[in-house]
Amino acid sequence: MKTRREFLKATAKAGALFSFAASAPRLLMRSALALPPGADQTILVVLQLSGGNDGLNTVIPFADDLYHQSRPTLRQVAAQAHRISDQLALHPRMAGFARLFAGGQLAVVQGVGCAKSDRNHPGAMHMWHTAEPQPPGPQTGWLGRAADQLWNPDTANLPAAFVGAIPQPFASNAERVIVPSLRSPRDLVCPPAKAGSAPGDRLLDGARRATSAAQANSVRIENVLKAHAGDYPQYRLADELRTIAQLIRADAGIRVFFTELGGGGIGGFDNHAGQLGNHCSLLEQLSASIAAFARDLQRDRLFDRVVLMTFSEFGRTLHENGRRGTGHGAAAPVFVVGGRAQGGLIGTHPSLADLDQDGQKVHTDFRRIYAELLDRWLGLDSREILGGAYAPVGMLRA
Amino acid sequence: MAPSAAFDPQWAWARFEPDAHRPWNLALAGHLYRRAAFGAAWPQLQRALADGPQQTLDRLLRPGAEAAAFNRQFDEYETPPGDDRSATELRAWWLQRMIRTPHPLLEKMTLFWHGHCAANNGKVESAPSLQRYLQLLRRHALGDFRALLAGLVQDAALFATFDAKANRRALPNPGFPRWLLEAHLGQASEQDIREAARAFSGWFVQLDQLRFIEREHDTGNKQILGSTGNFGADDVARLVLAQPATAAMLVRKLYRWLISETAEPAAALLAPLEAAFAKDYDVLALVETMLRSNLFFSPAAYRQRVKSPVEYALGMIQGLETSVATQPLGDALAGLGQNLLHPPTTRGWSGGRDWLNPATVAGRLRLADALLRGGPYSENLNLAALVQKHGQPATIFFAQLYVQDEPAAGSAPDPRHAAYAAVAQPEFLLA
Repeated sequence: MKTRREFLKATAKAGALFSFAASAPRLLMRSALALPPGADQTILVVLQLSGGNDGLNTVIPFADDLYHQSRPTLRQVAAQAHRISDQLALHPRMAGFARLFAGGQLAVVQGVGCAKSDRNHPGAMHMWHTAEPQPPGPQTGWLGRAADQLWNPDTANLPAAFVGAIPQPFASNAERVIVPSLRSPRDLVCPPAKAGSAPGDRLLDGARRATSAAQANSVRIENVLKAHAGDYPQYRLADELRTIAQLIRADAGIRVFFTELGGGGIGGFDNHAGQLGNHCSLLEQLSASIAAFARDLQRDRLFDRVVLMTFSEFGRTLHENGRRGTGHGAAAPVFVVGGRAQGGLIGTHPSLADLDQDGQKVHTDFRRIYAELLDRWLGLDSREILGGAYAPVGMLRA
Repeated sequence: MAPSAAFDPQWAWARFEPDAHRPWNLALAGHLYRRAAFGAAWPQLQRALADGPQQTLDRLLRPGAEAAAFNRQFDEYETPPGDDRSATELRAWWLQRMIRTPHPLLEKMTLFWHGHCAANNGKVESAPSLQRYLQLLRRHALGDFRALLAGLVQDAALFATFDAKANRRALPNPGFPRWLLEAHLGQASEQDIREAARAFSGWFVQLDQLRFIEREHDTGNKQILGSTGNFGADDVARLVLAQPATAAMLVRKLYRWLISETAEPAAALLAPLEAAFAKDYDVLALVETMLRSNLFFSPAAYRQRVKSPVEYALGMIQGLETSVATQPLGDALAGLGQNLLHPPTTRGWSGGRDWLNPATVAGRLRLADALLRGGPYSENLNLAALVQKHGQPATIFFAQLYVQDEPAAGSAPDPRHAAYAAVAQPEFLLA
C-alpha cells in the first residue's frame, strides 16, 4: 500500500491529469497539488523542563553508594527503576522512556551543561536560550536564529512555532521570523480567503502566496483533526505533543517546534523542598507523553523525520538539603528521542566523588548538542547560529 | 531589493498635481490615508476626493488646535492616580490614541521612532518609564531629530533596554553606544564603540530614573569618529549628527516607511532630501516633501509596502466608524508579531515581507473575522446600519472602502460577509 507521502508525490506528478472546478483559485489549487512545503524534511522538537531537573533522580546511579548516602529520603532503589546499564537506571515512573531506550530510540547524553553557569534560574536559562554566542549580549535565541536561517519569504514557509500556553521563552526570539504561539492546531485554521490570480507585482504575489499557503494549511489541518487523534495520556504536555504531531501530519511545514514542561517562570522542576512526589509526577508526565508522541508518529511512519530534545537550565545538588529537596546543581542528562536517534548512553556519568559545589561537573558543553541538531539534523550552519564551532556528540544516526 | 527605475529627482519630489493622465481618485485617497494615517472611514475618503491631495495633506500634516487638546487629554488618561498601571494598559491606550487621534500622522511617526530605537518592556518592567519614553518619541516625532536624539540618550527606559542600568567607569556597557553608532552610520569600529561606551559611563538607572554619578564618569579624553575630547553621552549624539551618513540613513529609512520597501532607491534620488535634512534635521519638512510628491502618488509607491499588524487592524477599524476594546486588540497584534513596547530587538521589527507567513496570515484572517463579528472587540458594531448610512450595496461599499476596487467575485450581499470578503483579499495585506 502506498504511504500517504508517496500518494502525495504521485499526485503532484500526475497533476496535469486532474481537472478542477473553474472557480477554484489557481494558486490555491496549485499549492494543494504540489507537495506541501517541507513534506519530506526533518523536524526538531525542543522541550524545556523549567526549574532545573534533578538528573540524578532521572538517570539514577543506583550502584553508587554515594548516591544512597547523600539522599536518605529521595533515593530510588534499583528494584523499582528501569535498568539501562549495570550502573544506571531510569526513574521508576519512566517506563515509557525505558521502552524507547530498549528500542534504540532514546539517546541519554550525560554530563551536559554550561561551564560558566552561575546557577541562578534566569541567568542559567538565558545561557541555554541564547547559546551565549560572540559578541556577547545577543538579542535573539538560538532557535530564533535557526528560524531566521530557515526563513524564505519567497516560499511563505513557517520555520518555527512555540506550542504552549506560557509566554514564549526567549530561545525562539528571532530577528525576522514571527514565531507563533499555538495552543492547538486550530490556531492555524482560518476562515476562507481567495488568493486571487490577476497579474500582480512581486509584493502582491508574495501576499497571495502567503494567503494560499495559510488556506492550504488550514484545509490540511482540518482534515487531520477529523482523523484519529492518537492515544495520549491526560497531561498538558501530552496535549501539546499531540498538537505537534497533528501539525507534522498536516504538513504545516514547521521545522522547529518548541514546547515546555514545568509551567515556565522558575518552573515546577525547582524542588527545594518535598521534591519526591512532585518530581515523580513530572517524570511520569515527561516519559508517558513522549512515549505516546513516539507511538503516534510511528503509526504514520513519521518518527524517522522527528527528533525531540529535552533541556533544563541546570541539574541539582547531590545532597538533600534537609527539607527533602535539592539545590541548584550543574551538569545533567539531555534526552534525545527519535527514529534516527543513536539510542543508548552517550558520555560517562559524571562522578559523584568529584563534584563542583555539590553539583555534577559538566564534561559536555550544551552547544555541542545544539550544533549536531543544527548541522546534521536541520542542515543549517551552526557556526553562524552559535557563534563558534562545536563538535557533535554522536546522538544521531548517520 | 531591486534598484528602482531611475526617476528624475526633480520630478520625483515636486508636488503632485493631478491631471488627466494622473487623476485624483479614490485609490489614491486610500493610498494617502494608509501611509499618512492608519486608514480612513468613508466620509474621510469622500472629503479627500472633494478636497484634492494637497489640501487633504494640509490637514494630515497640520491638523490644528484640536490635536493638541486631544493629546493633553490622553496624557491624562494614560496617567491614573497612583502608579497602578501596566505596560499592557499603556499599549491599549496607545492603540486607542492611534484610532481616535485627529493627528494620525503623529502616531504613525511615533510608531516609526519606536521601531528605530525600540524600548522593550521585557527589560524595562516599568509602565511609567515606558510612558515617558513614548511621550519623548511623540513630542519630537515630527519635530527636530536632534532634540529627539538628545532625549533618547537621556532616556531611562532605553538604558534599561540596553542592559545598561549601571555604567561604571571600570565597565561601561557598549550596547547603547553600539546602537547609536550603528543605527545611524550603518557600521562602526569596535574602537569607536569602546570609546563611546566610556563617554556613557556615569549614567545609572535607579528607581526608573536616570542619574548621573560623577565619580563613575570616565573624564579622560575619548577619540570618537575622528574627534578627541572629554566627551559625554550627549556629545556622542552630537558627533553622530555631524556625520553626513546619519541624515542619509534616516532619509532611506523614512523612504521605506512612507514610500516603498520593494525597491532600493538610487542615491541620486535621495540626494536632495538628504542635503535638506542634514541642514536642520526637520522631520516634518522631510515627511512633507515625501508625502506631497509625485513619487508618493505614483505606481512606484502604490501598494509597495506590507501592512504591519497595527496598520492591518486599524485599517479595518477606521472603516467601521466605531470604537473597539484595545486591550484584547493589543494581545491579538502581539500574536501577529507586533507586540507594541515589546519588540523582538532594539532595532524594532524587520517588517516588510517578514510580516507574512502562513501563521500570521491565518491570524490576520481570524482577527478580521472576529473584528467584523464584533467579537471581544466591539459590542455596538452594526455593519448593516453603516452600509445603510452610506447608501450603497454592501459588496460595493466595503470593496470601495477597504481596497478601493470592485467587489471580489462571489461576494455575498450580507454586510458582514461583504466586509470580510473585501479585507480577506491579499491586496488588503498591503499598504
